[in-house]
Amino acid sequence: MNKTEVSESTMIKITDLEKFYRTEEVETIALNKLSIEIKTGEFVAIMGPSGCGKSTLLNILGMLDDPDEGSYVFNGIEVAHFTERKRADLRKHNIGFVFQSFNLIDELTVFENVELPLIYTGVPSSERVKRVEEVLDKMQIMHRRNHYPQQLSGGQQQRVAIARAVVNKPKLILADEPTGNLDSSNGNDVMELLTDLNEQGTTIIMVTHSEHDARYSHRIIRLLDGQSVMENIMI
Amino acid sequence: MIKNYFKIAFRNLWRHKSFSLINIVGLAVGMTACFLIFMYVRFELSYDKFNQNFSQIHRLNTDIKTPNEVLHWSSASPPMGPTLQADFPEVKANARVFGAGFLVESNNHKFQENNLAFTDPSLLKIFTFPFIHGNPATALKDPFSVVLTEASAKKYFGGTDIVGKTLKLNGKQLVTITGVMQDVPLNSHFNFDMLISSSTMEKMKLIDMNEWGNFSNATYILLPEGYDGLKLQAKLPDFLKKHISEDKRRKGYNYELFIEPLKDVYMDTFRGAPVNGNLRNVYVFSIVAIFILLIACINFVNLTTARSTERAKEVGIRKVIGAGKNQLTTQFLGESIIISMIAFIVSVLLSMLLLPLFNQLAGKIISHNIIEHGYIFILFAIAVAIGFLAGIYPALVLTNFKITTILKGRFTSSVKGIFLRKGLVVVQFTISIVLIVGTIIVYNQLNFMRNQSLGFRTDQMLVLDFSGDSTVQAMSESLKHEFTQVPGVLSASGSGTTPGNGNSVAYSEVESRNGSLVPVNMNLYDVDFDFIPQYGMKIVAGRAFSRDFATDSTKSFVVNETTVKNLGYTSAKDAVGKTFNQWGRKGTIIGVVQDFHFESLQQNVKPLNLRINPHNLGVFTLKIKGGDIPNTLKAVESKWKVLIPQRPFSYYFLDQNFNKQYATEDRFGKLFMYFAVLAIMISCLGLLGLASYSTLQRTREIGIRKVLGATVPGIVNMLSKEFLWLVGIAAIIAFPLAWLGMHSWLKDFAYKINIAWWVFAVAGILAMMIAISTVAFQAIRAALANPVKSLRSE
Ligand SMILES: Nc1ncnc2c1ncn2[C@@H]1O[C@H](COP(=O)(O)OP(=O)(O)OP(=O)(O)O)[C@@H](O)[C@H]1O
Ligand SMILES: [Mg+2]
Repeated sequence: MNKTEVSESTMIKITDLEKFYRTEEVETIALNKLSIEIKTGEFVAIMGPSGCGKSTLLNILGMLDDPDEGSYVFNGIEVAHFTERKRADLRKHNIGFVFQSFNLIDELTVFENVELPLIYTGVPSSERVKRVEEVLDKMQIMHRRNHYPQQLSGGQQQRVAIARAVVNKPKLILADEPTGNLDSSNGNDVMELLTDLNEQGTTIIMVTHSEHDARYSHRIIRLLDGQSVMENIMI
Repeated sequence: MIKNYFKIAFRNLWRHKSFSLINIVGLAVGMTACFLIFMYVRFELSYDKFNQNFSQIHRLNTDIKTPNEVLHWSSASPPMGPTLQADFPEVKANARVFGAGFLVESNNHKFQENNLAFTDPSLLKIFTFPFIHGNPATALKDPFSVVLTEASAKKYFGGTDIVGKTLKLNGKQLVTITGVMQDVPLNSHFNFDMLISSSTMEKMKLIDMNEWGNFSNATYILLPEGYDGLKLQAKLPDFLKKHISEDKRRKGYNYELFIEPLKDVYMDTFRGAPVNGNLRNVYVFSIVAIFILLIACINFVNLTTARSTERAKEVGIRKVIGAGKNQLTTQFLGESIIISMIAFIVSVLLSMLLLPLFNQLAGKIISHNIIEHGYIFILFAIAVAIGFLAGIYPALVLTNFKITTILKGRFTSSVKGIFLRKGLVVVQFTISIVLIVGTIIVYNQLNFMRNQSLGFRTDQMLVLDFSGDSTVQAMSESLKHEFTQVPGVLSASGSGTTPGNGNSVAYSEVESRNGSLVPVNMNLYDVDFDFIPQYGMKIVAGRAFSRDFATDSTKSFVVNETTVKNLGYTSAKDAVGKTFNQWGRKGTIIGVVQDFHFESLQQNVKPLNLRINPHNLGVFTLKIKGGDIPNTLKAVESKWKVLIPQRPFSYYFLDQNFNKQYATEDRFGKLFMYFAVLAIMISCLGLLGLASYSTLQRTREIGIRKVLGATVPGIVNMLSKEFLWLVGIAAIIAFPLAWLGMHSWLKDFAYKINIAWWVFAVAGILAMMIAISTVAFQAIRAALANPVKSLRSE
């Protein structure tokens, strides 16, 4: 593994990152020589018009996808050209995901959905029960532990999704429009939860279209056509 | 982890009941067919393996070269075995088996037994026939000693503890029971109800045991472990030269001996065996089993990959959460193995249920239950393998989805995936259509053989079998007259045998066109004066036998057309009056009879002659009236009891008996048909699943189209068309394959049908119709649905 010089507190450093999508007729540049640095413990919002490359960036940061050009250093490790297996390994121990469409598994109960990441990281069964109950309790969804996702409201589903994202105690949470499918009251609940997590030390990167939600963050990165155009530091 | 897999697998199965049902039923039916065939094939390949000396036992076969043909026989002459053992130290033992038939009597019971054997004491040393009572080492040593099988012991005495008791053969010869053995296993290439010591045969002066030219018995030899029989075979030409000098052979005859390992005997259709298997059928059914399984596996693959759209989301989420490729592969493989396990349990139950039926169909008990011989474990292993094979492709497809694509939401089956599924459907229907064509052709051929004119009268011909009893032979004319007095009986004739029942082959010399005498092996029918007219055989030249000619019973021969043709005569007339010598009888050909089928239609008609010989008659044939056959039969039986009280009443009908020769083909045809039906059923099940998925996925499209004005027939047409295309392509691939396969099957028949074009048309239309009804049901349902509902479902 190749260690690069970075300051202690830097979690993510991307340099000249490029991502293209080639279809038969056209080549789309989703990310265009993008460079961003994110420190451990930050709460960053990413904003920009539709199609500017926010989701693409988040997927690369979450190691769900790999960049075509440029460097991506995560916690001091260059991961841009990691194999899928290595990425999966790094991902499951370090990163939690929250999506606009919740992405819960319909065939599993609330409890089982939240338990799943622990199973994949090999946590023993008794420990799993303890941790799942702890986090469900924190998300105030304990009373629904044996329900199936379709039996829950959107807000409840998103809380389960967040519970699942944090149960492994990841250092980084990536959220792609986490409030996009929620009404404003449920949306605010979710933002409070994320803020709490951030205060307890979790780094958060969130894509959003809502200026209101963005205000919960420390810093807003605005993208246009795959390039960072502006950064606002929130006070 | 495993628990989690099981949980989600079972929930998945339960949530998608119809999908699971199609998969499980298809796999279970496929497995059942496969299991049954597997047991059949294993049984066929297990023949004679029960013998501890299996690898050391060999059969001695003879090729008899006559001036105009070579006969490939599975027998040898009586002195060969013992002399072989005396000359070659590597021959550890030899045993001869002579088939025999006697009227056997114990106390008051009388049975005509036709499956008896004279044999040497060493037979019990070479083969493994465990004894229940008596000592196998000494049981067959003395003359007039016999060994009964358990079944015949029970038949005669009601029990097996009968050593020392006696039986009477043919009403006069007493023999002593020296042993009772277990019944000959079903998977033995020869069997018998009773063994009689070969020394008895000498004492009874039945045959000359020193005659080198009489190839009447089977000879088995025991060679050392690992010894190659071909090494011994290479020394046999010299052996023959040493022991059979020119003057001991018939003029122009020569012999060649062959050593055949026991493992080849049962499947040897070239020389034959008393119980004969057919390796080709074993192959055919193995292939059919693999095909059916393939069809069931294709269903599984197709339905699973078709559902991948639904499963994609789950895969994506699991990957995001941290599932590795291996874990996902394990999960999906686990699911397919669970399905195959459920199918396995269902198919075990089904197999248990169907085994008796299958035994009946196979014509023998291939297995009493599927737990026997550890079959169930092998089947279990096969089931796991099926689950693995059927699951591996879908598992790889599902785990290789790109997360980012899946998470985007809209995810449709790849073009490659759809193409593959369609290709697999074509494979399924190709197999099904080949099987349908095969079934039709097998049945056509069977029908053809049954309905083909045989050259003699077959219906309402009742044959009474007196097994060549000499007292009956002596009074045959008066007995025939007595039988014709029975109401319902029209006429009677006597003969040595009847068509379909085998006959002797006699060395004969016949005058050829250039005036010289040529040796010919003639099939021989000993008959009386009434036989030819009663059987309705046609005389094409000369005349039939007649009581008006004194010499007819001693000097006259009637030959068939093939004889005349083989001798080079252009017209049947030319053969009349020619010299004919046979077994010491010198005379002339007085007539030529039109060829008739005395063997099954698998065989070409061979040279045959008839002659008058009351001393060789074995059966009477009664032509009876059609009306009340059961009553006539009863009346004939009462008459028999009065006229021939010393013999049990034994009869058969000529046509039924002749058609018995097709029992193997009949079974083959039935099995073929059942498996063809299964194949098409499982294929349609898969098609049903695919069609319902594809319509389900297009629910929205159908809704939009209807809103835009599409008609119901238009939509049904659109939905059905794509599948019917596939069946059409399958037919085009299947036809030449089926033609090739069936053409080679028909090669075994001397008289056969031409493969007609309509067979293919029927098979194609049948497959098409079945497919249409399968698909159309789904399509109509989708087309009739209210578009508002289907649009809301998005
Ligand atoms: N799989 C793909 N194939 C081709 N082009 C793609 C693909 N995914 C994204 N793109 C293109 O890349 C660009 C960035 O897409 P991305 O999904 O990152 O946008 P986004 O900023 O998340 O938009 P939104 O706010 O609407 O979610 C877009 O122009 C999109 O058309
Ligand atoms: Mg997006």
